[in-house]
Order: sequence, then C-alpha cells, then structure tokens
Amino acid sequence: MSNNGKFEPRIVAFLCNWCTYTAADTAGVSRMKQPPNVDIIRVMCTGRIDPVFVLKAFAEGADGVIISGCHPPGDCHYTNGNYKTFRRMPLVEMLLQQYGIEPGRFHWGWISGAEAPKWAELTREFTEQVRKLGPLNWKKQFASKED
Amino acid sequence: MADLHRADVLVSCRHGRTPELVTALRDEIERRGLAEEIRVVETGCSGFCSVGPVITVRPEGHFYASVQPADVPELVEETLVKGRFVQRLAYKEAAGRKAITRYEDLPFYAKQMRIVLRNCGMIDPRSIDEYIAVGGYEALGKVLTSMTPDEVIAEIKKSGLRGRGGAGFHAGRKWEATRRAKGDIKYVIANGDEGDPGAFMDRALMEGDPHAIIEGMIIASYAVGSHQGYIYVRDEYPLAVENLTLAIQAAREYGLLGEDILGSGHSFDIRIVRGAGAFVCGESSALMQSLEGKVGEPRAKHVHATDRGLFDRPSCLNNVETLANVPQIILNGADWFASIGTERSKGTKAFCLVGKVRNPGLIEVPMGMTLKQIVNDIGGGPPKFRKVKAVQTGGPSGGCIPASMLDIPVDYESLTEAGSMMGSGGMIVLDDRTCMVDISRYFLEFLKEESCGKCAPCREGIKRMLEILVAMTNGTAKAGDLERLETLAKTVQTASLCGLGKSAPNPVLSTIRYFREEYEQHIKDGYCASGACRELTAYVIVDEKCKGCGLCIKVCPQEGISGEQKQPHYIDQAVCIKCGACYDVCRLDAIKIVPKAAVSLGGNGGNGHGTPAATPAKDKPGAAKGKA
Amino acid sequence: MAKITITIDGKPIQTEEGQTILEVCRKNNIYIPTLCYHPVLEPYGACRLCTVEVTRHGWPSLHTACTHPAWDGLVVRTNTAEVRAVRKTLMELFLSRTPNVPLIQEMAAEYGVTEPSYPVEDPNEKCILCGLCVRVCNDMVKAHVLNFSSRGVDRKVGPPFMEKTRECIGCGACTIVCPTGAIEIVLQKNAIYAAKPLGPTAAIYVPSLQAVPRVPVIDTDSCIRFRQRDRSNGEIEDACGACQMLCEANAIDFTQQDEILELNVGAIVVATGFQMWDSTKLSQYSYGKSPNIITALEFERLSNAAGPTGGQILTADGVKPERVAIIHCVGSRDKNPNAHEYCSRICCMYSLKQAHLVRDKTHAEVYEFYMDMRAFGKGYEEFYERVQEEGVVMVRGRGAEVQVLPSGKLRVTGEDANLGKLVAVDVDMVVLSSAIEPPADAQKIAQLFGLSRTPDGWFAEAHPKLKPVETNTDGVFLAGAAQGPKDVPDTVAHAGAAASMAVALLNRGEVTISPQVAVVDEKFCSACKTCLNICPYAAISFIVEDNVARVNEALCKGCGTCVATCPAGAITGKHFTDDQIMAQIEGLFRVPELVEA
Repeated sequence: MSNNGKFEPRIVAFLCNWCTYTAADTAGVSRMKQPPNVDIIRVMCTGRIDPVFVLKAFAEGADGVIISGCHPPGDCHYTNGNYKTFRRMPLVEMLLQQYGIEPGRFHWGWISGAEAPKWAELTREFTEQVRKLGPLNWKKQFASKED
Repeated sequence: MADLHRADVLVSCRHGRTPELVTALRDEIERRGLAEEIRVVETGCSGFCSVGPVITVRPEGHFYASVQPADVPELVEETLVKGRFVQRLAYKEAAGRKAITRYEDLPFYAKQMRIVLRNCGMIDPRSIDEYIAVGGYEALGKVLTSMTPDEVIAEIKKSGLRGRGGAGFHAGRKWEATRRAKGDIKYVIANGDEGDPGAFMDRALMEGDPHAIIEGMIIASYAVGSHQGYIYVRDEYPLAVENLTLAIQAAREYGLLGEDILGSGHSFDIRIVRGAGAFVCGESSALMQSLEGKVGEPRAKHVHATDRGLFDRPSCLNNVETLANVPQIILNGADWFASIGTERSKGTKAFCLVGKVRNPGLIEVPMGMTLKQIVNDIGGGPPKFRKVKAVQTGGPSGGCIPASMLDIPVDYESLTEAGSMMGSGGMIVLDDRTCMVDISRYFLEFLKEESCGKCAPCREGIKRMLEILVAMTNGTAKAGDLERLETLAKTVQTASLCGLGKSAPNPVLSTIRYFREEYEQHIKDGYCASGACRELTAYVIVDEKCKGCGLCIKVCPQEGISGEQKQPHYIDQAVCIKCGACYDVCRLDAIKIVPKAAVSLGGNGGNGHGTPAATPAKDKPGAAKGKA
Repeated sequence: MAKITITIDGKPIQTEEGQTILEVCRKNNIYIPTLCYHPVLEPYGACRLCTVEVTRHGWPSLHTACTHPAWDGLVVRTNTAEVRAVRKTLMELFLSRTPNVPLIQEMAAEYGVTEPSYPVEDPNEKCILCGLCVRVCNDMVKAHVLNFSSRGVDRKVGPPFMEKTRECIGCGACTIVCPTGAIEIVLQKNAIYAAKPLGPTAAIYVPSLQAVPRVPVIDTDSCIRFRQRDRSNGEIEDACGACQMLCEANAIDFTQQDEILELNVGAIVVATGFQMWDSTKLSQYSYGKSPNIITALEFERLSNAAGPTGGQILTADGVKPERVAIIHCVGSRDKNPNAHEYCSRICCMYSLKQAHLVRDKTHAEVYEFYMDMRAFGKGYEEFYERVQEEGVVMVRGRGAEVQVLPSGKLRVTGEDANLGKLVAVDVDMVVLSSAIEPPADAQKIAQLFGLSRTPDGWFAEAHPKLKPVETNTDGVFLAGAAQGPKDVPDTVAHAGAAASMAVALLNRGEVTISPQVAVVDEKFCSACKTCLNICPYAAISFIVEDNVARVNEALCKGCGTCVATCPAGAITGKHFTDDQIMAQIEGLFRVPELVEA
C-alpha cells in the first residue's frame, strides 16, 4: 500500500455524471496535473449517493471521500438532485464525526463541467490534506475487532 | 313689503364721482329723517354721459344733470322736502340754452327707442324684484308654460332678430341649427366680450340690466335644449361681473335658474367666465377656445359652432344685446318687433355715440334711422365751428362713412355696402380736424396689438400696413405706397383666418375709398390738411385776416406766438409743437395749416410769417419733404 | 363613406366624403403651396398659402384648402389671378420676415418675388410661425414643450419662458416638421442618443435588408409614443401615432405585446450567438474618449448604405479620414482578466475587409496592427494578399495604446515585431477589432437546458471531436457561435449539422431512452410514498390497488435520487445498483492486492 514507506492516501470520489465527472474528464483530456490517489466512481447524479456508499468506502480502506456535483441552484441535469445532496451531506458529516472520522477526510461540493482546473486543484489540495491526516486504517480496525 | 316709498331718487351711473354723490344723498336724507320715505337707487347707465351724473326723481320725473355732491343739500331741501324744481341744476339744451326739467322732454331720449336699454338707468340692477316689477321674467313664464321650443324659435325667426355682435346672423336660425344639432349636451353662450375702444353698450347692459340677459339666455336654453350656459365677460368690467353674479344668484334663489325652472321640468344654469381682455376673444371661435381654458385663438369655421362649438359640442353663441332683445320679442310678439326697423334689419340697435358731438353717450335707435339723424338730432351735432367729416362705425375694424353719405340708413346691409359695418355698435363722429390717414393708423395700431398672430396675413399684413401708414403720417412715404397698401389690405381682407383679420383693413380701405386724395396729399405733398399729422404740419398766421386779438398768444402752451395788439401775430416755428390750440381758438380763421416743408426755420427769428397764403401744397409738389 | 364629386380646375373628381379640399388635391397631384400643413396634424390655417377659390351655390369666394371640407358639388379653382395675387402678397410678407430661408426664397420666386418687399427686421429670422412644431409637440408627442408666447407681432415659439425644460424628450419631431429649419436639436450628454453613438435610427425600420418577413418594426426606445408612455407611467398613452395615421394598409398595431409562446417540441437548437466584448474594459484603447475610435461593428454601421452617412466613411466631423488604423485582437488573445484568452477567429478577415473598404471609399492610408494573420479559410489567404497589394500597411505587433491628442487626432503606438522597434502613427480614425464573447445571459440559457459551458464561457458540446453539435441534454443541439467563435461559413456548416441532427431525431419516430431507469421491487415497497415527492419528473406514481409505488420508465431519467432515498431499499437504479456501486468501491481496494499477488 505504501511506496517506499511513504504514505499515499487512497481517496474515493463520487461524481455526478454531468458536471464534476465532465470536469474531471476535461481535466484529464486537458492533461492537467492531478494526483493519482483519487479514484472516481461515477453516478448519474449526486442525489443517487446513498450515505452507505461513503461509509462503505471508508470501510473498504479509503482515507478520504469526495462528493461533487452540479452547482446549485440550476446546474443540475435532473433539476434538483443536487439539493438532495445539499441536505444529506451535512448529516453524513455528523455521522462520520460520530464514527470518529476527522472532518478533513470528507469533502462535498460543486464543480461544474466548465471547471476542470478547479477539479484538478481540488484533487491536489484534498490529497495533501488527507496525507497530513495520515492513514485512517478503518478496515484494519474492523478486521482487528472481527478478529 | 316695507320698502314702499314716497319717492325714488335714481342716480346714474356708478362710474365717475357718482359713489360720492350717492353717499352724500343718503347722508342728507338720513339726516333729515327721510330714510323711511325716500329711497336712493343706484341705477345702471342712463346713456346721457355728457351731463352725468344725472339724477331723476320719481314719480315727479324731475331730471337733474351734472349734479355734484355739493348740490345735494339744496336738492334734497327743494325737491324732496318742498317739492320744487331746482332750476340751477336743470339740463340746458345746447342750442337756445333752454332748460328742460323732465326726463320725458329731453331731446336726447325723445328720438331714441329704448328696447334693450329700457331698464338701464331706470331700475336698480342689483334687485331682481325691481326687474320683475317692470315685467321681467314674464316672458320666461310665458315661454315655459305656454310655448314649445319650436314655437319659441319660430317666434324669434319671425321677428327677424339678427345678431347684435356685428355679423348680423339671424338669431332664430342659429337657435334652430343648435336645436337640430346632434348631441345631448349643448351650450348657450352670451358674448359679453366687448373689446372695441370707445364702445360700452354691452357693458352698460350687463351693468344696468343683467336680468334681461339672463332671461334671454334661459329662453334660448329652453329653445335649443341646453342645460348649461356661459356668460363670457371681460375682467376689465368688474361691475358687470359683480352685477351679473348677483343677478345669477338672485335668479337661482327665485328658482329661475337651476333644476326644474318654474316647475316646467326645464333645467338650466349659468356660469360666468371672465376673459382677460383680448379683442380677438370677441370672435366666436376664439371665445370658445378661451372658454375651454386655451389661448384665445380663432379656428377655421367651416363647421359651425352650432354643430361643433365649445368642447366640440353644439353651442349657441349670442351677443348679450341680442339676448336682451329676446324677452321683449316674446312678450310683445314677433310682429311688433318686426314692425320696427327696415326690411332686412329689424328692431333697434344700441350705439355708443362718441367723438365730436355735443351729446355723446349710449343710445338706442330703431334700425333704419339715418346717420345724420343720429349725429344731429340725438348727438346734437358737432361742437361749435366744426363740421362733421365722417362717421366711423363698427369699432376698430369698421369703416369711415363720409359726411356726404350720412343720409344712409343704419342697418346691416347699408353699412356694409358703404364699406363699414354694423359691428357691435361703436359710432365715432369725426370732424374736419381729423386726418383720415391718421385715424387709419390709429385703428391699425390697435389691431396690431390685438391680432392674435395665428395667421400670417393678419399678423404680418397689419404690421406692414401700419408701417406704410406710419410712413405716410411722418412724411417718409414713397410713391406707390398707396397702391401697395391697397393690395396688402385686400389680401389681408380675403386671406385672413377670422373676422378680426378679415375686417382689419376696413378702416384703411374705407378711408382710401372716400378720402383717396387725402392719402395722395400725404404722400405727394407731405401735407396733412387737418393738421393731425404733426410731422407734416406747420401753422402760420395769415396777416390779412389776423386782427391781433391775442387769443392765440394766451393759449399757446409753448409761448411761441408773439405780436403787438391789433397787429398780425407771428408763430415761432422753432418752438411750435403743432398742438393746434391757436388754430382751434382763432375765431377769424387767421391761422392756416400748411405743409411743414413750406415753412423755413431760418431768417426772421424762425417765424413762418410771410409764406404764401394760398394752399402751398399745389405750388411745391413734394419737392422738399418736411423733415426736421 | 359616401361618394362625392367636386370640380377642381375644371376637372370633375370623384372622391370620398370627409376630406378637405387640400387632401383631395394632394391625392390627385394638384399642386397647392402650403407651409403650415402636415398630413398627420389637424389643419391649422395659419399660413393661408393654400388659399383657393371655392364656388358654392354659385358664389365664389376665397378659402384655405387645408381647412375647407370637400363637399359635394364644390367648384374649386386653384390658380386664378386673384388666388395668385393673394399668394404673392403672402410670399412678400413671408420673404420680408425670413429673407434668408431657401424654401421661402424658392416659393416666393414662384410668384415672382425675389427681394423682400418690406423692411427686414432680422435677417437671421427663420421661424414663420406656422405652428407645425407646436402642434406636433402638443397633439402628437403630447410633450407640451413648445407653444406660442406673446401675441400678434410679438408671437414667438418656444418652451415655457424660453427656458430649457426637462419636459422636452428630445424626440426631434419639431425639427422634422419645421419647414424652414428654424429648430435645431442640440444633443446633450445622457441624452437618449448617447447610447447610439452612430446616430439615431428612425424609430420604425426594417431590422435588416435581409429580414424575413420583411416588415418594419417599432423601436420602442426611440418611438415617441412609447417613450411618452413610459415617461408618464402610461398616463399619456395616446401620444404620436403618425405612422398609424399614414399607413394605408392599417397595419400598425401599437397594442402588440411580446408574447410568451409555449410550444411542445421534439428537439431544440441553441443558436444564441455571441455579443461584442465591451471595448472600454481595456482602457489603453481609449474607446469612448473620442468619437473617432469605433469598434468594427460600428464601422460596419458607418459604411452601411443605410447608415447615418449613407455609406460614406467619415469622421465625427463629417470629413473623410486621411489615415485610419485598425487594431486586431482587441480583447482577444489577451491574458488580462478583463479580456479573453481565446482567439475570436473572425476579426482578421473582417479587419482586412474593412481595410479594403476604407481604401476603396476614401483612399486613406490604412495601418493594420496585427499579431498573426489568421487567414485560415478557403480563399482567405488570397484576399489577404490582395489587400496587401492595395497598399494597406501591415504592422506586425499588437497595437499597444491609442492616445487622443489635444488636436483631436489619435496616436496609435505599438511594437513592430518585424522591425523590433516601437512605432507610432497619428491617424484620424481608429477601428478596434474587438473580441466576441458569449452573451451575458448564457448562464441562464445553460441552466434552462442543462448545458455545460467551457471555461471560456461558450456552451460545451458533448464531445469536441465526435459530437460537435450535441449536448449532454438529449434533444438539445448547438449551432454557430453559441458553441464558440465562428465565421459565417463555419456557422452555416455547424448550423446545418445541428439541424440535421434535430431532424434525424424527429424523423426517427420513436425515441430510444436510456436503460438507466429505476425500478421498484414491489415485494419490498412499504408504500411510504417518500419517493413520490422526491422524483423531479413525477415518474413515480402510487398504485392504490396494489398498494405500491411504480416507476414509469418512459418518464424516468435515471438520476437515482429515489434509489438513495427509499427507506425500504425497494428501488433499484438499473446500471447503478447498490450492488454495482458497492462492488466498484470494493474493487478499488482489491486491485492493488491483485497486483501484489
């Protein structure tokens, strides 16, 4: 998991198909510099993101999670899916705190299809942020408990 | 009623020093404890302006002229207490100095026929009761109770009553057209905008007998089917406005104005609108514009006001004098009215007889009386020494009728034919001291001021005509100016928009027609025979005639005449201001009017003495224009 | 309307009732001179020049034709000796009043009057007091600014107390109707025309010569009627209306309102185009500081035959320029945050065309400040060559600055990269080839259609190479400069492609919908109805008989919101099932181990 003993965070990003995924795609096409630590899971809309996915990601070993969709008010391809995200995610944040996961490991926000540079920047900054926080090792904790 | 009196003292009129006289009379009567018995009545204009204020004591009929406040104690003592006539205050006829003591005997009134002015000077215009007492509102009662509107119109048409404002349109036809016009709202308008200088018939009527106008308007409203009336009065007539306002209030109180007049179901009310005194607002379309609150400017009248007048609604506009005739026609019948006057001009007409006559004043004569009769019999002829040269009728836009034509009867057609017009009734008598060029210039100056300026011929044309006339009177006119003036006058006459412009050249055209040689004299010879054009004139003394009486020396305001007694006198041309006082005063005809060019200012102390005695104009035809 | 017959100059004329004699004469080409008449205004009868002889009931008299109604049976003579005499005298009066007005001189000469007959008071007088301006201001415009003051010979026209008034809306109607040119309008700052630097268009015009349908429109910003209505908050709603009165087809309808039409369509092409970048954003070009610094679009208006100068290229002083500079890439290819980084693509070629026009029309020297000449299209390079041969001076290098000199001349400085030197040239006119940019409201449109935009603001196509007209929203296509700067051939090609795609979609007859839809596993549905409110497309309905929620697959767009919401976990989003996503997450963390293994 680590290269040369150096900690490399694993980050899972849930992106909506229309805005942030497009931005990420454009960032890639445009050859913008991005850390390789971010793995993207595409959903059609951020409204599809079940909080369970976030927990699952952490449980599977992610050190950070990003959720990003279309800008409110009107960017959402599905009219108002982003509003559902807007209401759910603060709850997810609270939930994570109760699990003892630092707020810095979870990011949710908006990046439109035109904002590829913003995506690249987010990945860079978030990766560094998580890197500073160190490994989460949730999976190991579960494993040890199971053991 | 408490006001039964032993005697009425009628004082006319409310102008001049009359208010003081009335106060003095009242005080005197009060002092003597006669207030219960004797009433002082301030009446409207009795017409005899030259001897005002006049007092008539009823029932005796004593007539006193030129009464001053100082005469009051004697008058009260003698007449009202002792019942004797005060000879000192009697009117004395100019010719013969015969004293006339009774109103009925005055020649001034004897020749007149007062229908419209019947109440002026006879009743208190502020009392509706007095008007009713002399038969007022009887005609209205007759109309409302026993006549249909069509019968009223038929009666007026039959009477032949024509507009007294000047144009002479048949009143009955106008009423009929208004009645037939489509529209629920119609207006009856009384034109009391009397703008002619020197004319005061309408004023006297509005001040002296306002109820007659109101009664006429109510009858008109019934006939045409109108419920709203306007009286347009110029604000320079505050007393007329006051008396009319009082009269309207009184009429409303008596149920003669307002809803359901006399229980007939007919409703009508009147508002007074005060005009700002523009001459052109006497023109019907301009008057209506002014009533609407706009600038009083005339508009083209191819559609009659009877169809589209005030506020674009059918409007019946009559002169106040026309309306004041109406009650009398209804009361006495159309046949009676039609029996007065000439074939085409019926009834009487009020005139303001002014100018060079002995008895100027407000008169009313039957149509068809000759000018000569009016001027000589009623007016008493011109003052001493003078001769009538012309009579100017019809106000500033009327014309001058020469002395040779004074036999023409006064009616609409004859006056128009003679190049003048009836107008609203101004009548100015001109004597031989009047210059016809100067009189044209005077009237055009007035018209220039009063032209509204809307249409080009009137605005520009009058200005240019005046320029030429001024040039003629000051000696700068050129040959051909008279012809130019004529062409211009004819264009202004044909091309102007309204009656003001169309008639504005009348003074010029009528004087050119009858006094052309006078114009030519002005242009060619620089000579004004009457001496009125001062810049053309010089006065000289004819040695052969001057007996050296010294009268002229006394009257000369410049002290410019010198001479020994019983020796011919001299006039110093350098100081002479051409006032003509010496000319007027000389009984020997020794002072002559000569062209200014004929005298020289040089030599012999600048005395014009010694110049040719004959009319020098012929000797020196315009060679040297008299320019100071 | 009843038919009437009137005889004019011996010729019987059949016409309709309700007109004036003058109107009948005008319609039948019978000349009658007038000064105070205008067809849209009430006859006034002030100048009296239209005096004619009218015989009614055998009684001839003179009347003004403009006010006299044309009654049946009238006999009118327009040119008798008497009529001519009246007109001659009137012209003498007019010429004496306004001796130096060409129109009056001309009309007077017709009647043999060449010199003022009366003393001239003011040789500079131009007003003949015809009252046209007063009437147009009060009756048509309803501004009530001009009126007569004083009376008679002192009559004057002017605003109240002859003072400037805010009531004047500067519509210019008075100057248009004035026959003698006695009224001038002085444009002030902040006046309505300030927003239209190349002069006002008429308030009613055909939008462009190629407009389809080719009907005029009313510019409500310039139209007196609408301006008065706006200014008075609708109180004056019957101002002007001259066009309506004159339109014989009765085609003008002031009550027409902008309508919102609701159409059901199967495809939408977004072709919202571009707007000009505001050239004041880069102050070094001094745009707005001199009337002779204009944008290329303004130049187009200037050189248009229907423009303010009739197509002549003139400076603000009305003279032909001797030197003209054209500066390329103003606001394009510029990293300044106020400008755009991209190339606007069309400027090079239109600048060359404009250089050609200036050479052709004025023979002025032309300086083109360019960075690169992007003559990329078919025949473009040849045109570039031709313009060079016409003598246009090409300066390779960005025009750096435009200075307005005190003399009014303009100094353009820039680097000539070929010479490696700073150059400056003083010119009479500068044309800025300003950038084009997405319309200011592009974001609204993007939201409306669910479009995304590229960083430069243009609408993003679904794929830069493979889907150049499609968008991420099915059925919505892009055409032309909405997608990015394009010249005319490119726009036409792009639009053709968009149209084809739209037509292809419509002609298919059936629509393929995405398989990514939600389905309810009715066994698990607890009938809580939570999903019903959450669905933005109302694709889920509750089936009462079965007591379950059910998804209409044709309406469902597959966003999956309901899937995440369903408390019972009864809804599955096809292709994005919970299991699939979970597997993805698991998969992420399994891969490295596989590699290690």
